[in-house]
Amino acid sequence: MKAKDLMIPLHEYLKPDNTLKEAANILRTAKRDEEKIGVKGLPVLDENGKMVGFLSIGDILKAVFPAYMSLMNLGDFAWDGMVEGMAKKAGNKRVSEMMTKKVISVPEDAPLMECVDHMIKNNIKKLPVISNDGRVAGILYESDVFFAIAKAMLGENPEGEK
Amino acid sequence: MTQGVPAAIQPFVMDTAFWTATTIFLLAYAVIVSERIHKTTVAVFGAGLILIFKILDQREAFHVEEFGVDWNVIFLLISMMVIINLMRPTGIFEYIAIKSAKWGKGDPFRILAIFAVVTAVISAFLDNVTTVLLIIPVTILIADALEVDALPYLISCALASNIGGTATLIGDPPNIMIASKAQLNFMDFIYHLTPVIIITMVFYVFAIKLIWGKKLKTREELKQRIMSMDENEAIKDPVMLKKSIIVLGIVLTGFVLHGALHFQPATIALFGAGLLLLLSKTHEPHHILAEVEWPTIFFFMGLFIIIGGVVKVGLIKWMSIKVLEITQGNLFATSMVVMWFSAFASAFIDNIPYVATMNPLIIDMAKQMWPDLSGIQLLHHVNLMPLWWSLALGACLGGNGTAIGASANVIVVGMSEKLGKRISFGKFMLYGMPMMIMTVVISTVYVWLRYYVLKI
Repeated sequence: MKAKDLMIPLHEYLKPDNTLKEAANILRTAKRDEEKIGVKGLPVLDENGKMVGFLSIGDILKAVFPAYMSLMNLGDFAWDGMVEGMAKKAGNKRVSEMMTKKVISVPEDAPLMECVDHMIKNNIKKLPVISNDGRVAGILYESDVFFAIAKAMLGENPEGEK
Repeated sequence: MTQGVPAAIQPFVMDTAFWTATTIFLLAYAVIVSERIHKTTVAVFGAGLILIFKILDQREAFHVEEFGVDWNVIFLLISMMVIINLMRPTGIFEYIAIKSAKWGKGDPFRILAIFAVVTAVISAFLDNVTTVLLIIPVTILIADALEVDALPYLISCALASNIGGTATLIGDPPNIMIASKAQLNFMDFIYHLTPVIIITMVFYVFAIKLIWGKKLKTREELKQRIMSMDENEAIKDPVMLKKSIIVLGIVLTGFVLHGALHFQPATIALFGAGLLLLLSKTHEPHHILAEVEWPTIFFFMGLFIIIGGVVKVGLIKWMSIKVLEITQGNLFATSMVVMWFSAFASAFIDNIPYVATMNPLIIDMAKQMWPDLSGIQLLHHVNLMPLWWSLALGACLGGNGTAIGASANVIVVGMSEKLGKRISFGKFMLYGMPMMIMTVVISTVYVWLRYYVLKI
């Protein structure tokens, strides 16, 4: 099985100068597949369709987390409504400020083990899959790799039939 | 060249060694000021050149106090850093900061003033960079909780830390260096500098009231955010905290008594660091040791060797003759020149290399004024003492003048930028320069009144 067999094809993407507000809305309404709505991350593409970064919901969490809280143990002194207050301020930041710029991706023909290798060594749960023409074809999710492994363990065929 | 100069101060020959050392010294200074290359790299490379060109031999650089590395300064700094690194995870600093904010009843100006005093007191005993690193995050948290501008808190933290650091021997690197060279003890600093710093802090609090008092307003319900914080939650390791407080107590008592007990401050600090490491039962001391600010330590070591080189070839002596010519041997004039020149010099260049240069310069001046004296009689000559205090006050307080004047300022500006609150060079100077001038004026009056009028 290869990366392209398991990936979810890309329907939506983000632009570097999207605000986080816009990005958050796209992330929560993007179609994951036919039924599910909401994704955990999307690639950021420039005007030529080239991937320049990746924004995940973790980056949105980081955007509201004040840098000073990472410098000391201040979690005990947060107040109710602090996240909401920070979210209002962070909403106008640009996607380019918060996105991961060095994105680890795989070519569409990469064997599944190459994908697992990236996921384990870099502790990532989403892997953009790059088509032969250099565009982002889709996203490979850790959970889908898990389902493939589960099927293999249970001796089911790839189509899920016994 | 030396015609007309009395035999006693027949100083040196301007030979190849003189020009080589002078060139290395000036180039190193220029590159450090330009900030093109990291100052530590410059200092270490410069020291290497001093040795390679045989301005100093290795024995002089490593083992001779007059020319080489001042290990008293080095071990005092390292040991204090180790103690702080061991204390930091206990949560004591978060505790103190939150407690202070609650003490201010959530009132933004009261908190600003209390933070300034707390920062000054902590800075008097810990190094300023550590202090601001520990205070700034809590400061911004409080400003966010009160929904007020964090800028006054940030700038005030840097200014107060530089003022407070001036108060004691261990508060600021210039004082550590002066104490070591001039053989002054902890209590000398308490007796001579702490009073003027207390007076200065009173003026400082009035000054910030004037500048920011009216602008800092918050709503009652936001004050509740502060009041409902529980500082006790900050304490993560009460057992280690107790050990740390005991060791800190021993170290501070040791500092107070080190003169009487004939110990150098570094001995006391090294003992404290060793004891706390032992009590911490850590199996991985390399974490604690790795957090020592080695770039700063190596900066000092390199610098000491470069300065040692120019001391040996006589450049410093030549400079001291020039200073005495300008002030015509009038000691009050000399100490005023030293204080104000130090203040403005330290506002723009690192006060560490500056003081490293000034220390031997003052000693050389003393040798010319009292050629018959030596050792402690020379260093502690009653007429020389005000010069040491003027140097300390000028060099430490001068750091407030600009954003690059002191390492605490650099840290505050750097952190602020990272935290999304940029402080421009001009903005810092707008507050820092008047504050520097105010504090140096207070020091001028103090030195004049205490040492030249009342003579106490």
